[in-house]
Amino acid sequence: MAEPRRWYLITYDIRDPKRWRKVHALLKGYGEWLQLSVFRCSLTDRDREKLRWELSRRMDAVDTLLVIGLCGGCVERVRAINAKEDWPEEPAPFKVL
Amino acid sequence: MSVVVTRYRGGGPQYMNASSTSPKPVVGEPSIRTHALHALAYCERLFYLEEVEELRVADAAVFAGRRLHVQLQEEGEHVELELASEALGLHGRVDAVKTREGTLVVYEHKRGRHAPGGDAPEAWPSDRLQAGAYALLVEERFPGAPVECRVRYHQTDTTVRFPLDAALRGAVVAAVARARLLRASRERPPVTQEERKCAKCSLAPVCLPEEERQVVGEERPRLFPEDDVRQVLHVATPGTRVGRAAEELVVTPPEGEGAPSRQPGRMVSALIAHGAVQVSAQALAYCVENDIGVHWFTSGGRYLGGLGGGAGNVHRRLRQFEALRQASVCLGLARRLVAAKLEGQLRFLLRASRGDSESRQVLASAVRDLRALLPKCEEAPSLEVLLGLEGAGAARYFGALPYLQGEDVDTRLRFEGRNRRPPRDRFNAVLGFLFGLVHREVEAAIRAVGLDVAFGFYHQPRGTAGPLGLDVMELFRVPLADMPLVASVNRRAWDADADFEVTSEHVWLSKAGRAKAIELYERRKRETWKNNVLGYSLSYARLVELEVRLLEKEWTGKPGLFATFRLR
Repeated sequence: MAEPRRWYLITYDIRDPKRWRKVHALLKGYGEWLQLSVFRCSLTDRDREKLRWELSRRMDAVDTLLVIGLCGGCVERVRAINAKEDWPEEPAPFKVL
Repeated sequence: MSVVVTRYRGGGPQYMNASSTSPKPVVGEPSIRTHALHALAYCERLFYLEEVEELRVADAAVFAGRRLHVQLQEEGEHVELELASEALGLHGRVDAVKTREGTLVVYEHKRGRHAPGGDAPEAWPSDRLQAGAYALLVEERFPGAPVECRVRYHQTDTTVRFPLDAALRGAVVAAVARARLLRASRERPPVTQEERKCAKCSLAPVCLPEEERQVVGEERPRLFPEDDVRQVLHVATPGTRVGRAAEELVVTPPEGEGAPSRQPGRMVSALIAHGAVQVSAQALAYCVENDIGVHWFTSGGRYLGGLGGGAGNVHRRLRQFEALRQASVCLGLARRLVAAKLEGQLRFLLRASRGDSESRQVLASAVRDLRALLPKCEEAPSLEVLLGLEGAGAARYFGALPYLQGEDVDTRLRFEGRNRRPPRDRFNAVLGFLFGLVHREVEAAIRAVGLDVAFGFYHQPRGTAGPLGLDVMELFRVPLADMPLVASVNRRAWDADADFEVTSEHVWLSKAGRAKAIELYERRKRETWKNNVLGYSLSYARLVELEVRLLEKEWTGKPGLFATFRLR
């Protein structure tokens, strides 16, 4: 049960501003807000399922969600074909503020 | 077809809606969650850990199962019905009950796949038992009609049907009786014989089955996570405020020192405040809710204390108190602890064989003396004797430590004997700070495991520092503080002017020095290393928690593993 982390792109389409705010706030707790309705999260399987469960409670049947898992190679390719700031470096295991 | 639309929400059986008919406040023994029978059928130890010790670890499968139930509710497939029965001693929430041609059908939804059967798909025994228990509850609530169970497996899209027959009734009644027996017991059941179950069990990192089976000594899948993947947040700038905005922790530096930084809250494992840092009540509440440890240090680096760990650890504490009240247990543990500490120091000295013949000679004599102390630890008659041995070892070790420093090390960073409160030279300033961080690590682990820091086996109670934390910490002083510090001084990572604040009485770390020390420690913590006894690699950070769990095993059925790890 070693827990590897993988990158995920999480995109959504929410049809109601109230639900949108809730979903947006929740996702901010899990990762970085890259673009409108696109988040980047580094998650373990457990985190991912927890996030999806929490999202399912905040979203409605008309809303849509797409969770895109990225392998190491995918991330390299994303880095290669984009500007550096579009995909920031991996978060450090600790932070001194 | 008609759907029974009675819906009771929230509350346990004791606090049921007054309009419900069958459930009444339970007077004698509290009833058993039907869901717990599922755990019982899977593994008795799992049942005990979850229901008696209230250890619940939700893994990916658990969350996926919860999401399935949310979806079913949205699709209208799901009518939750809360039922309780005093006669059966059970309560639980049925996924759905429908009537089909005069038969009451109890539905149970499962995310996984069905059990392989002879010709038709079958339900897993634990699912059968759970569905059977629901069926009995439904039968009592709606008497007269025959009851059938259906377990729906969503991964394979199959439904398994079976009637509520005499065999199933008997199995449920027997399981409830067994559950009651286990609940009344104070002994943790042993780990299951069926090892493959542990690989899928969410509680494996807490139960530590492979360490328990370790005696046999075969290759085994490792179940204890290698590293904590979440971030540790050190707030080291005085005047900083930490607040909360929805799911984020917002760290606002004092005015004029940059913009606030926002951290995704779920990605943080601990918040550590050094000195004058303000943490808002909302941020504290968020941390407690999301299992984020909060710890405070003085600006000088002394560990003040922290939050973390949950309630419901009564059983573990009672067992700890019972075990550590016996002087023989304490002495046995202390002997091994001191032996481990001395051997750690010895091995560190052995590593460094450089330098001229004079320093080699000093090191060799220190090694010889330390080695001579080791067998004495095994037979020390009392804690006082052990304290003497530990002190003698420390004197030899710290006497030899200066000879591990390279020739070109700045004289101001040289080590010339241990001093503290306050530290009077630069080396001791960093060392003291690092010990504070180690202390925090150990106390956080003890809290996470559910033991009481205030009751140890070697150190005597004094002041604010918890004796058990100080006990366990002895194992980690060398690998987590001494070793990285000596190495960093040797590679000239420290600036004797900018990293320290020197007065005539004491030496403190400056802001830059503190950041450097934190980084040194945190990097060291993440290094992985192969455990010599258990045979798998893990980070030092996880090693701390593992040692505390192994310590608890000393009095819960598998003694002999605590303080056995050795650095190469």
